[in-house]
Amino acid sequence: MRLHFFALLLLFVLLPACAAHRPLPRPDRVASPPLSFAVPKVDRLVLDNGLRLYLNPDHELPLVRISLMVGAGSIGEPAAKSGLVRLYAAALRSGGAGERDPATFDEELERMAADLAVSSDSYAVSFGLSLQRSDLEAGLAVLADLLRRPRFDARRFELARRQMLEGIRRQNDEPGAVARRALRRTLYGDHPLGRTPTQDSVRAVERSDLLAFHRRYVHPNNLWLAVSGDFDPANIQQLLNNVFGDWPLQPFAVQDVPPLTGPLEPVVLAVHKELPQTTILLGQRGITKDHPDLYALRVMNFILGGGGFNSRLMREVRSNRGLAYSVYSFFQVGRRLPGLFIAGCETRTATVSQVVELMQAELRRITEEPVSSEELELARESLINSFVFAFEGPHEVVGQAMRLDFYGYPEDYLQRYRDHLAAVTADEVLTVARRHLLLDRQTIVLVGDQTAWEGNTEVFGLPVAGLPDEE
Amino acid sequence: MLIRSMGRLLAALLLLSAGVPSLQAATLAQKVQEHTFANGLKLLVVERPGAPIFSAYLTVGVGAVHETSGERGVAHLLEHLRFKGTETIGTTDHRQERPLLEAIEQTGSALDRLRNEQDAAPERVAALEQRLADLQKRHRQLVVKDEFARIYARNGGVGYNAFTSKDLTSYIVSLPANKLELWASLEADRMRNTVLREFYTEREVVKEERRRSYDSDADGLLYEALLATAFTVHPYRHPTIGWPSDIANLSPTVTRSFMERYYSPVNTVIALVGAVDFEQAVALVESYFGSIPAGTPVPEVIVIEPPQRGEKRVTVEFDAEPRLAVAFHKPTLPERDDYVFDIIDQILSQGRTSRLYRALVVEQQLATSVATYGAPGYRYPNLFVISAVPRHPHASAEVEAALYAELQRLAKEPVSEQELERVRNRLRVDRLRYLQNNSGLARMLTFNQSVSGDWRYLVDYDAQIASITAEDIMRAAATYLVPGNRTVATLQKKGP
Repeated sequence: MRLHFFALLLLFVLLPACAAHRPLPRPDRVASPPLSFAVPKVDRLVLDNGLRLYLNPDHELPLVRISLMVGAGSIGEPAAKSGLVRLYAAALRSGGAGERDPATFDEELERMAADLAVSSDSYAVSFGLSLQRSDLEAGLAVLADLLRRPRFDARRFELARRQMLEGIRRQNDEPGAVARRALRRTLYGDHPLGRTPTQDSVRAVERSDLLAFHRRYVHPNNLWLAVSGDFDPANIQQLLNNVFGDWPLQPFAVQDVPPLTGPLEPVVLAVHKELPQTTILLGQRGITKDHPDLYALRVMNFILGGGGFNSRLMREVRSNRGLAYSVYSFFQVGRRLPGLFIAGCETRTATVSQVVELMQAELRRITEEPVSSEELELARESLINSFVFAFEGPHEVVGQAMRLDFYGYPEDYLQRYRDHLAAVTADEVLTVARRHLLLDRQTIVLVGDQTAWEGNTEVFGLPVAGLPDEE
Repeated sequence: MLIRSMGRLLAALLLLSAGVPSLQAATLAQKVQEHTFANGLKLLVVERPGAPIFSAYLTVGVGAVHETSGERGVAHLLEHLRFKGTETIGTTDHRQERPLLEAIEQTGSALDRLRNEQDAAPERVAALEQRLADLQKRHRQLVVKDEFARIYARNGGVGYNAFTSKDLTSYIVSLPANKLELWASLEADRMRNTVLREFYTEREVVKEERRRSYDSDADGLLYEALLATAFTVHPYRHPTIGWPSDIANLSPTVTRSFMERYYSPVNTVIALVGAVDFEQAVALVESYFGSIPAGTPVPEVIVIEPPQRGEKRVTVEFDAEPRLAVAFHKPTLPERDDYVFDIIDQILSQGRTSRLYRALVVEQQLATSVATYGAPGYRYPNLFVISAVPRHPHASAEVEAALYAELQRLAKEPVSEQELERVRNRLRVDRLRYLQNNSGLARMLTFNQSVSGDWRYLVDYDAQIASITAEDIMRAAATYLVPGNRTVATLQKKGP
């Protein structure tokens, strides 16, 4: 009887505990209905004067967005005038146009609560304009003024130059920026891709250089224009014709892309800054968009350091050892010339050697043994299943179509993207890792407290160098 | 600030449904659908056309402002740890790992105590460190690394992340539209069954995060010094990530207790924006979150910052070119003066026609940029901050003087009706722009719901803004933008 009672009691005590410890169902065992998704279509038109148009009407919000690209960038700058195209973009945006002086020009945009930005990169000058639907006509007129009748106001040009000079004075403030600049300089040498504007090169740019750049490259047949949002598709062509139609096609010489010179010898660039943490970059030249290994490389890099928490670098450096907050790798897909491969992170001074060696070990491992089938599958599925996010909104859709054309991607690029990824095998991952990760040719940049290396001529088997010469 | 503006936008759009400027926008605003579950959990849904994707924000209304002195930094560390999994996610066998987790906790706590002893024997520290490392290694055999991230990635998720602010903590991800149930299942599991594993390694990660975002970053250091100087007693003075010694002494016990106190439905709001069906979302959230106990509401912070009596100044020495930030105490929402500051913000620094940009950047050319913003949170009275980057050879002091001249003008001369109209228009259109993005919209909805208690609270935003007069602006400037209410933080290189 007594025993019985005890047993009963035990049962009551244990029951809730058992319930609590019963293995829970796995929360990821959830069925998903199929996803229907097709790559969206974009209307493409070419005006008689060669201006290429990409249209994607969408009436959810009473807004219109416009993106525009001019087919020329800093890749054509002479070394002595490095920064010319950035100054061009800044002075174009701020210098007034048509009948409007700089102040009136900005007031007109602000009256419409419009946003207008002009920026530049290696291969293009890009414009972004955001408007209310009701201001579309007025906004297009402003944009046409800027393209066809820019004023490059001399005072605003000088202001843009002074701003840029101040930026150069401040270019060593942020360790990550110092590291990236140093790496680019070492890997590309004195090629436009490797240069950073200097005080001298920015001072050497004259207003006439900006005018010459404009005259040389800003022609309707060197423009790509994408419009999305709340416009009437039946009417838009007429609106565009009104402002651009009488702008004559102009034969011009396409901007030259100077070839890269042979790569420089790998070094360790140790840049001293009194900081508790060192920025580490490992880098080498990479690939262009046309390389057949592109898809296998995407998968490889996802597994190595591109897949965030699902990458090996993140797991080994951050998650397992707590040695860094951010750690990553990526292949910049070079649009015309090879981009860079970079692996990077930041860690405290005392653990720099350990982290560099860990990163190198992971780079080596992916060139030595095939990735596991789980890793391969995760990388492929992640890249394939997230493809839909490339078409997040109407402007992303039309902007992407424009950029793909601008850089001459194959017509079926988007259609075949997922199939290419799905076909990547573990063998291919190994092959492309071996082919493209040049373990003993990578330059290492360290920006932080360098006291530990002081006096060393060699670190990590490479000669130690200071900041590369920027004139 | 950004977030709040977006909140006001949606609210403003509801007003627009009455008629004029934009029918489309009004229609969208009417699509904000809400449901409150029995346990207090709040769900907000916006069904949007377009791509078959959605963004999810799960926001818990607890942040750094709710921490007490023994637990500073815990909200943020906990945010990291809640990525580590649950009883089923992140482990091959939770029952087996449990004794190891306990041993790790005991060893780690003993190690922390020892490290704080004045004359701890180094060999004792080393021995405990070794023991901890051994236990961690054994535990790792039972860990499935970063499994939440793996599941989301495999299913096409992007932007899987979380952030902690002074006011709240948000867990975010965007997924293909067919993954709504997976999301509900995973996030409910996170709310119900989180296991705090890999604690001590993650604490090291947070130390590296602090080194990166504050101790090696000029702007981070300046901002931290500005807040710590402007506030004397209010917890808004502390960095969200914690001071270095705060982080170093956070324990699993404190962290677990913080989580168990606050991470519950009654303090949580979810926003789903994109290709989501409201009825289906309600049903799914009910079935996965519905049985989680409500929990206890986060208590109000009772600390009140005393009025500032005179200017405060702080200098930060760091290896970077000079920059400065000036802060003024001000009320927060729903005070009318908070709306006035939205207008002041526009007049002073938003866009190329704003006063500070024209005066300091274009005309006097003393600075290369000027920015203004509200900080560091919105639950409690906060700061209006002006930051500027001086242009060599001009010193921070010159920038300050020019800045104050503009503030005085604001307090003395009425703003023209034309300028006011421009600002109203800009606020309206900018808030429309925020609606272009699923994730931004979800963020603003949960922010508003969490901080102001009801996202609709700002339904009359445009009416409020329209009612603000030039007189209001002069009065607010004369009341708040005065020397006795300001804190000036400057950053410069160490002297020779």
